[in-house]
Amino acid sequence: MAFLARRLGFYFAAFMVAITLNFFLPRWMPGDPTTRIFMALRGKMRPDQMEMLKKAYGYDGSLLEQYGQYLWKLLHLDFGISTVNFPEPTSSLLFYAAGWTLFLVGVATFLSFGIGLVMGIYSAWHRGGFFDSVFTPINVMMNAFTPAVVALLLWYAFALEWAVFPLGRAHDINLVPGWNWESAVSISWHAVLPVLSIVLVNFGSWHLGMRNTMINLLNEDFVVLAKAKGLSDRRVRYRYVARNAILPQITSLALSVGFVFGGAFISEVVFNYPGLGKFTLNAIESRDYTFIQAQLTLLTCSVLIANLISDVLNVIFDPRLRTSGGH
Amino acid sequence: MFSESLMEVRNLTVDYVGETSIARAVNGISFDIRKGEAFGLAGESGCGKSTVAFALARLTRLPGLVSGGTVRFEGHDVLQFDKARLKAYRWRETSFVFQSAMNALNPVIPVAEQIMDVVETHQPELGKRGARARAVEMFELVGIPPQRLDDFPHQFSGGMRQRICIAIALALNPKLIIMDEPTTALDVVVQRDIIEQIVELKSRLGFSVLFITHDLGLMIEFCDRIGVMYSGELVEVAAASSILTAPQHPYTRALGNSFPPLTGPRQRLEGIAGSPPDLRALPQGCRFSPRCQHAMAVCAEVAPELRYYPQSEGQAACHLLQ
Amino acid sequence: MSELTEIGPFIASLSQGAQGNPAPTLDELMGELKIKRRPGFLRKFPSGVQTFLTNGKGVAGLIILTVFVVMAALAPLLSPFDPYRRAGKPHVQPGVEHFLGTSRQGKDIFSQLLEGGRTSLTVGFIAGISATLIGLGVGISAGYFGGKVDEVLTFFVNVALVLPALPLIIVLASFVEEASPTIIGLVLAFTGWGWSARTIRTQTLSIKSREFVLAAELMGEKKWRIIVREILPNMSSFVVGGAVLATIYGILAEAALEFIGLGSPSSVTWGTMLYWAQRSQSLQTGAWWEVWPPAVAIMVTGAALVLINFGVDEITSPQLRAARLSGRIKKFLKRRGRSVDVF
Repeated sequence: MAFLARRLGFYFAAFMVAITLNFFLPRWMPGDPTTRIFMALRGKMRPDQMEMLKKAYGYDGSLLEQYGQYLWKLLHLDFGISTVNFPEPTSSLLFYAAGWTLFLVGVATFLSFGIGLVMGIYSAWHRGGFFDSVFTPINVMMNAFTPAVVALLLWYAFALEWAVFPLGRAHDINLVPGWNWESAVSISWHAVLPVLSIVLVNFGSWHLGMRNTMINLLNEDFVVLAKAKGLSDRRVRYRYVARNAILPQITSLALSVGFVFGGAFISEVVFNYPGLGKFTLNAIESRDYTFIQAQLTLLTCSVLIANLISDVLNVIFDPRLRTSGGH
Repeated sequence: MFSESLMEVRNLTVDYVGETSIARAVNGISFDIRKGEAFGLAGESGCGKSTVAFALARLTRLPGLVSGGTVRFEGHDVLQFDKARLKAYRWRETSFVFQSAMNALNPVIPVAEQIMDVVETHQPELGKRGARARAVEMFELVGIPPQRLDDFPHQFSGGMRQRICIAIALALNPKLIIMDEPTTALDVVVQRDIIEQIVELKSRLGFSVLFITHDLGLMIEFCDRIGVMYSGELVEVAAASSILTAPQHPYTRALGNSFPPLTGPRQRLEGIAGSPPDLRALPQGCRFSPRCQHAMAVCAEVAPELRYYPQSEGQAACHLLQ
Repeated sequence: MSELTEIGPFIASLSQGAQGNPAPTLDELMGELKIKRRPGFLRKFPSGVQTFLTNGKGVAGLIILTVFVVMAALAPLLSPFDPYRRAGKPHVQPGVEHFLGTSRQGKDIFSQLLEGGRTSLTVGFIAGISATLIGLGVGISAGYFGGKVDEVLTFFVNVALVLPALPLIIVLASFVEEASPTIIGLVLAFTGWGWSARTIRTQTLSIKSREFVLAAELMGEKKWRIIVREILPNMSSFVVGGAVLATIYGILAEAALEFIGLGSPSSVTWGTMLYWAQRSQSLQTGAWWEVWPPAVAIMVTGAALVLINFGVDEITSPQLRAARLSGRIKKFLKRRGRSVDVF
């Protein structure tokens, strides 16, 4: 428990670093968002309106006051007012988009981790064999094929040329999503290509990670002892090797969540999927700084929560962390 | 005169395969382990004694390769065993105690499971309950309170962990236990405890032991016969009682001189000048000859064979004895 | 009599052993396992380099990357047209005039590909190498000095690891109007050093406790001298491995950022080529030649770096090295009718 408490403390600190960075970045840059809006309107705005704008966006008063106000708003999940859809709060669009992104990322992470682990275990056990020599390099190379390229090619082949899957969107345009069969089918059908594009560039790293960890563990005395005991291959493979090899993978999985979000962003752009990536891109084009900053805060939270979950899993799976003073 | 042998090793050769070269770590060695005896393998680190131990248990790890020889266990060649026969050989007939008890236990599962899985695999008729009973029995045998069965390895001290490993090794009452430096990682007091315990268990249960250590004093106390290895070859095999008092091979003598005698007057300790040869660039002839004070012309030409000489009881491989 | 029955099998076993199953000689074995001695010229290199150069994957990756780097370096000489200017009609098919066709804006794709490689590779290497240098500095200091220094630095390493890189870069880049490739490279280095810092710190901790470092400390060597002379040389393969990974990350992330429109659209890189291809809907209009060249270039570069990383991984882990041989060793055992359970 001491371990978890320490980690929790760290996550809080990391979160503070992230939101503080998020607070200061626009203030360090030449011209804060309000000034930019002011400039963009080319004098169509009166100075007193400008003051109101500054107040609305939290750019008035001393830096310390601004920072206090910023934290207070964050505490209430108030991400500020959208620069574009003035005076709509950013949070409504943000949470709508985040839902779709979390769905994509969740499904894709689950699939790529699962596929990667199974392949990693297999190729470590039969290392140097056909599957290992051919598919390990291929899978890892796909990892380096960048989401942009993979998503574009998938879209071109399966959506445009062969028209197997829809060209974009999260569900049929006429459908109002709900908890029914029709929605489930439509949503899954629309998610196939975006999820596939994320899975294809991610599972290779789990394959390689699990394989290499397993191969290095195969040389450990406790694995040799398990083999010497005449236990079945199955038992040695899962209970002795994979059971230990999975611990570092869980940690890397949580750390990679931020990276997976990056991949999801690209897929959403290609597949016109209504997630954070697509709306962030819109926000970039329309200079909606509030949204751009809010997505960072939200995603930082998601990554930290993922890490917290991985810590809890590690405590469950690794008895050495359970006793006090474990490291 | 001859007691029946349990394991006959003939011409055992083990190679380590590199990408661009092969090192012959064990070069055609032959010896017997008799029923109920403790046979020791001595030698400097890197002489191949652990490699032999792993090969006998069919545990040679990549990139190691047992490229030749036979290992007969009660007349059957261990190296030719198929999967089914190997499963019976492993642990029911031969078990293993590793040097580092720290790494020999799976850190993430309770120790009980690590004893029980061996019983469940080999004696499924006992069931979970029987396996558990056996685990309790084994813990009592090595003197650890059975209520600690459900603890994890990191909750035990080094000495206790090694006892647990011995308990696991004894779980199926095997005929041979291979012990690869079982006490090296422990402090001296614990070392003594554990050795005494092994001696006691051995006399009670009657298993044979292949004992490997670089601690010659400990080995002489514990073993019946000792084989001395140098650079992947056996240079002498003799009774433990006579190996230091009447060493036949110059290397055995030198090795004996580098250890303090347990009793008797103090004497000057002598190290052995030079270092063991690189396995990739071996001298022709006797491998010890470049370091041997008594080397003759023939030593650099012809490799001596391990054989009996009339003047001694044991075997040795040295031209000086001709 | 009883003695004789005991002696019988013993003598039989002795004679059996004399003939029994001799091992092949080392030369025979090397032939059977297809192991070739290292050619003489290789032996001059350090052993890590030798290991790398005997690895087919690593060498293949290195050759591909070298070809790309050379082509990028010679881009101005090899380009038939100015990559920044209109060179023909829009969307001309690949042919004699335009080797890889032209873009929607009528720019020559082949010239753009070369110029884009120049920028993309430069940015990738700058990002990769800077991230590795930051990681190296932080990792070694944390690992070697320990105590408070370690605590503080490890905190920052962990923060760098948990901050989601791409969303953060989007924020950074969105405040810089039209981020040039150089700025993108620096931002990538700033967000991408966590992994190498972590590996290097672990590595430093393990090297720090080895005898030769302790000996140097006892002899009163200066700390920076120990770091440079004793610690650094012993983890060069980890540093190279980290740099390769960081470069992959740099090239891919740069392409991703420019693809979604965060780069400067007037610069020519593989990422902006994809951006324009996507913008001008070339796939929909059948102008596949505007998408494929940069896409393939990125994929092949990524693949080459991954192959190099396979080679470097094997330097650091003898187990991975041995994995290469296991197939041949299994065949050796099979031919002798022995059950195969190598692990």
